[in-house]
Amino acid sequence: MQPCSREMQAMNSLLNPTQQIPLQDLQINGNRHHHQQIHVPSSSHFQYPTPTSTTHHDDSFLEQILSSTTSFPWSDETGPPNPEDNNNAGFNYDDMVLASKLRQHQINGGAAGNPFAAMKMMLMMQQQQQQQQMMLAGRPTVASAAAGGGITTNHQGGEGSMQALYNVFGDGSLHGTMQAKSFVGANSATEMTQSQGSGPTAGEAVTAPEKPKQRVRARRGQATDPHSIAERLRRVRIAERMKALQELVPNANKTDKASMLDEIIDYVKFLQLQVKVLSMSRLGGAAAVAPLVSEGGGDCIQTSANGGSHPRNSNGDQTPSANDRLTMTEHQVAKLMEEDMGSAMQYLQEKGLCLMPISLATAISSATSRSRNPMINHENPANGSHLLIQSSGGDGPSSPSMSVLTVQSATMGNGGLEGGAASVSKP
Amino acid sequence: MMNTPQQVKNPSSSLKSRFITRFLGALTKINAEDPISSPSPTRIFQRYRRIKVASNKSMAYSVRSRRIWSRAMLSRFRSRRSAFSGRRSSVKTTNCTTINVTINENKTAKGGLDMQTDELRELVPGGEAMDVCNLLDETAHYIKCLTTQVQVMRKIVDFCHLSK
Repeated sequence: MQPCSREMQAMNSLLNPTQQIPLQDLQINGNRHHHQQIHVPSSSHFQYPTPTSTTHHDDSFLEQILSSTTSFPWSDETGPPNPEDNNNAGFNYDDMVLASKLRQHQINGGAAGNPFAAMKMMLMMQQQQQQQQMMLAGRPTVASAAAGGGITTNHQGGEGSMQALYNVFGDGSLHGTMQAKSFVGANSATEMTQSQGSGPTAGEAVTAPEKPKQRVRARRGQATDPHSIAERLRRVRIAERMKALQELVPNANKTDKASMLDEIIDYVKFLQLQVKVLSMSRLGGAAAVAPLVSEGGGDCIQTSANGGSHPRNSNGDQTPSANDRLTMTEHQVAKLMEEDMGSAMQYLQEKGLCLMPISLATAISSATSRSRNPMINHENPANGSHLLIQSSGGDGPSSPSMSVLTVQSATMGNGGLEGGAASVSKP
Repeated sequence: MMNTPQQVKNPSSSLKSRFITRFLGALTKINAEDPISSPSPTRIFQRYRRIKVASNKSMAYSVRSRRIWSRAMLSRFRSRRSAFSGRRSSVKTTNCTTINVTINENKTAKGGLDMQTDELRELVPGGEAMDVCNLLDETAHYIKCLTTQVQVMRKIVDFCHLSK
């Protein structure tokens, strides 16, 4: 079996499948021209240029082969029969060889059932056809060169036998299916002698890719050196990790790796900030902060906002309504934040609100304070953590109205804002 | 794809319950030795720092040494504690910077994402000495633990406020 398989593999690698074949076409079993596009997905062959322009003369020939091979008993033990047989016997031998080859593929895990085996067989048939064509064209050197691209040992043995083959073609009757069969028979005979002469090295060179470890085998155009393989593995692992992170982080619908990383970084910062804020809220008694995360703090927010308003509050009438609107939103957001961060974000987005650092919020508010009537609370930060509600009456379409809910952290000794602060504002 | 050993364990010993136990213990200790009714800003600030540290520490201890970031955090706490007692832990920082330099040289494959990975390294404790693959892994676990931390703290605040 081994010589046969090696020979078949040599034949396979001779005419590399540069064509692409859709599998369904092969299953249709008919159209020879479609075989131009045959692609063996898991086949591992050396890649080297081969003449791809082939013309198939006999559709019936292939169909005949197919019909016969499908009914052929798959057996691994097929010894090399008489190579001089140029009639049906030789044809059957080729059949058997192909069958054994396909069986070998199946054993190797390369074939996924009969359709794939049929495809392989078609491919081999086609390769034989190509080789026959090449030899008919009178360029045995080309054929052997193409054959010997990866398997140099074949090349050495190819010349003489090719010449002999050519003589056979010249002498024999070249017409009809007989011609093709004879080619096939002689071809296989040639290949057998070649492969047997150079068997081990060629076989090894060709069987190496046939091992089950096919995922290491590089695809077309890729190198096989360990560095690129390691690089590929590394990239795959990083992609896995990114996917896992995507599930953890909300708003992770970014496809770009850079923006995904940005999102992750922002989320980590946000979480760390939340820990800070929550640990500050733990300073007991600070009723102003607890309302951020609990329900019963509506009045507390109200009182702190009203108590904290300073002369900058020029629009007193708007205060209660704005505050009411704000507190409702705050409550909703706080409630949602308790359950699920993602839903909290979505809620904010639906309302047209967003989270922003307090520095930005103050900058925006000061920028827009001239054109509208803001109610800004600048509570003295020395009193501990508290809520800061800041709203500006919505004016025309020129600038959006801003409602800002901020938590100002206690700043001891600095006089500014400590760390970042979480704020909800309308963009 | 992430391995979450804490979640597949017996729920009574999950990460969350371990963290809750430790953190509540730390909180009661802080409350005991530092009553709430101290209005001075510095005291409040110190208390805040303590609580934050207690929270992070409890989380790190709950994860033990299973993760690189928790190990780094724990060693940071220990070095800080020893720094209080007079010893300086500058050796650790220099080691981190040298490792950082070598990692920077090897990061050419990532190209334009170096900035983000650097930033991530700063955020995640112990991130300086990790390659990108491990860094992403640690980040995922760190995010998970942070969310647990935030959840628990919120619930405690809720409870405290409701009980007042």
